[in-house]
Amino acid sequence: MLSKSQSRRFFLGGTILFSLIFLGLTVDTMRQIPERTKARNMNESVVRGNHLWTGNNCMGCHTLLGEGAYYGPELTKVYTRRGEAWIRLFLKDPEAMFPGQRRMPNYGFSEQEITDLIAFFQWAGEIDTNDWPPEPDLKVSAAAAAPVPEAEVPPAPAMYAAVCSACHAIGGQGGAVGPALDTIGQRMDEAQLVAWLTDPQAIRPGTAMPKIPLSEAERNEIAAYLAARR
Amino acid sequence: MKYESQKVAYWFFATCMLLLSLQIVYGFIMAFAHMGYDGLHPWIPFNTARATHNNLLVVWLLTGFMGAAYYIIPEESGRELYSVKLAYVQLVSLVLVGVIAIAGFHMNWWEGRKFLEIPRPLDYLVVANVLLFLFNVGWTALRGKQTTTTATVLLGGLISAALLYLPGMITFDNLAYESYFRWWVVHLWVEGVWELIMSGILAFLLIKLTGVDREVIEKWLFVIVGITFLSGIIGTGHHYYWTGGPRYWLMLGGVFSALEPLAFLAMAVYAVTMARKAQRNHPNQTALLWTVGCAVLAFVGAGFLGFAHTLPQVNKWTHGTLVTAMHGHLAFWGAYAMIVLGIITYALPEMTGRRLYDTASAQLAFWTSNIGMVSMTAAFAVAGITQVYLERKMGMDFLEAQKATEVHFLGLVLAATLFTTGITLFIYNFIRYGLPVARAERVPGADDAVPGAWAEGAAQ
Repeated sequence: MLSKSQSRRFFLGGTILFSLIFLGLTVDTMRQIPERTKARNMNESVVRGNHLWTGNNCMGCHTLLGEGAYYGPELTKVYTRRGEAWIRLFLKDPEAMFPGQRRMPNYGFSEQEITDLIAFFQWAGEIDTNDWPPEPDLKVSAAAAAPVPEAEVPPAPAMYAAVCSACHAIGGQGGAVGPALDTIGQRMDEAQLVAWLTDPQAIRPGTAMPKIPLSEAERNEIAAYLAARR
Repeated sequence: MKYESQKVAYWFFATCMLLLSLQIVYGFIMAFAHMGYDGLHPWIPFNTARATHNNLLVVWLLTGFMGAAYYIIPEESGRELYSVKLAYVQLVSLVLVGVIAIAGFHMNWWEGRKFLEIPRPLDYLVVANVLLFLFNVGWTALRGKQTTTTATVLLGGLISAALLYLPGMITFDNLAYESYFRWWVVHLWVEGVWELIMSGILAFLLIKLTGVDREVIEKWLFVIVGITFLSGIIGTGHHYYWTGGPRYWLMLGGVFSALEPLAFLAMAVYAVTMARKAQRNHPNQTALLWTVGCAVLAFVGAGFLGFAHTLPQVNKWTHGTLVTAMHGHLAFWGAYAMIVLGIITYALPEMTGRRLYDTASAQLAFWTSNIGMVSMTAAFAVAGITQVYLERKMGMDFLEAQKATEVHFLGLVLAATLFTTGITLFIYNFIRYGLPVARAERVPGADDAVPGAWAEGAAQ
C-alpha cells in the first residue's frame, strides 16, 4: 500500500508538473491576447472608459464577457444591441429609460465620460470570445407574426431607429418590450403622439414608456412617421 | 488545548461571527432587490451590497483560517505562540482595514473587480497584515518541537494564498489580462490553495475527534491535496472560455474541471471513513458533525454543482447567469464556511473549559443552517435555469426574464430565513460559552470533562 513518503512525492511532483504546464499556457495566452482583443484599437478613450467601468464597480450589477453580477443585463454586445444614441441617452438618466423598473444609480457622467464608456463597450464587443454569447436557439421569430412586410415601411427617422426601436417593432424589426407600432396610426393621431412622447406618465401614469429627452423637431418627426403607420 | 496562547483564536472566531451576521444582512438586501423591493437603493445600491456581501465572506473566512492557524499551529508545533500581542495587533488592524473597505464601498471607493473590490491602498495594508500573521505562526512552527504534516499543509496553504494575492494587484488597461490574473487569485484560492488550508484543518479535526492514527490521516491528506492541484491548476481554464483567451482553454478547462470533483469526492470519502474508524466516541460529536458535513457538502457544492456547469457546452449558456450564484453559495458554504464553523465548534469548549456541546440547540444550528443553505441553492438553481431558458435560449428581454424569476427569490428569502435561524442558534451557542478562561482559573473538576483532556490523554 501507498506509503506516506510516496503520497508526498505524488503531491509535490503533480503540483510542480501542472504548475509548469499552467505557466507555459499563461505565457502563450499573454502572447495571443493583444491580437484576440484587438489591442491596437485601444485608444485613450477606451482606456478611460475601462477605468470608469472598474472605478464605479459596474461589475457589481452587470456582466461583461459574462463576468460580474446578475442584477443588470449582460453588456458584451451592448454597443451593437443598443447603439450609441440609446446608450448616451440611457447613461444620462438611467432611471428615466425604465420608469418604475429595476434601478441603476445615476453617476452623473459628463458627455466625454459617456463617449469614453461607449468607446470601451465598442472595443469590448469586438474581443474574440470564442463565439460567446451564443444566439438564442429557441427564439420564436417575431418577424413571422408581423402583419406588415418589411419592404413596405419607409425609412424611419434617425432618432426612432436609434432609440424607439430598442423596445418597439415595426414590420417585425425592433424590440419586443413595448407593443409593435405597425398600426399605431389607427389608434393615435399626430397631436396625440406628440403629447404622448412629451410626457407618457402624464397621459398614462405608471406606464413603462420612458420620457425620452427629444428635441421638438425630433418629436414632431417621429410623431408624423408613426401617425402614418396605419 | 495545550497552550494558553491558543486562546487568541477566540477573538478571531468572535470576529467571524460578527462578519458572518453582517454578510447575511447584505444578502437579504440583494434578495429583496431581486424581488423588486429596492427601497435601500439610494444608500445601498446593488453593487455596494454585492461587493460588501462577497468581501465580508472572504474576510470572515480568512479571519477564521487565521484563528484556526493560531489555534492549531502551537498545538502541532509543541510550543506557545511566538507573540500573542502581535496576534491581537494583527486582528485589530485587519478589522480596521475591513471597516474602511466596507465604508468605502458605500461611497463609491473601490475597484470593480469581482471579489477583489478593495482599493489599491488597502491592498498594501492587507499584505502587511498577512505578513504579520505569517511571521507569527511561521516563526512558531519553525521554533517548534516538531513539524507535523498537518501543520505544514496548513501553513503551506496560508503562505501560497498570500503569494497568490499578488497577481491580483497588477494593473492592466486590457480587460482580458485583468480578468486572466484575477482568476489566478480567485480560482487558485478557492479551487487550489484554500483547499490546502481546509484539508489541514480537516486533518487536525479528524485526528482530534476520531483518534485514528495520525500517520494514516496525514498520508491520505497528501493524496487528496495532490488530486486537488492535479485537476485544479489547469482547471482554472474554465474561467478562460469566453474572456478573450485562446480556444484551447475550452478543451483543457473542460477536461481538468471535470476531474475537480474527484478531489472533493476523495475528501468526503476520507472524512466519512475516518469518522467510522473512530476508536472511541469523542464527547464533542457536534464538532465531528460539522467536520464530516463539511467534507460531504464541499463535494456536493464545490465538486458536483461546479461540474454541473463547467463543461463548455453547458457553460456557454449558463455563464454569467444566476446558475453561478447557485454553485457559489453551496461551494463556499460546504468547503469553507463549514470548516471554520467546525473548528470553532471544536475549539470553543477547549478554550473556555465549558462543556456545552451536543446540546439540542447546537445540533439544531447544524441542521437548520444546512437545510437552509441547500434550499437556498435550490432556489438559485430554479431562478438560474429559468433565466438561462428565457433570456439566453429564447432571447427574452433581460428585465422581462428577471420578472419571471422574482417568485424564486421569494423562495430564496424563505430558505435564507431558515439558514439565518441556524446561524443565529450557532451564535447563541458561541455566546453561551463565554470568554476563554485560563486553565488555572477553571472550576476544579471541570477540566476532566473537557475533551482536550481526552484527546491529549489519548495522544500520550
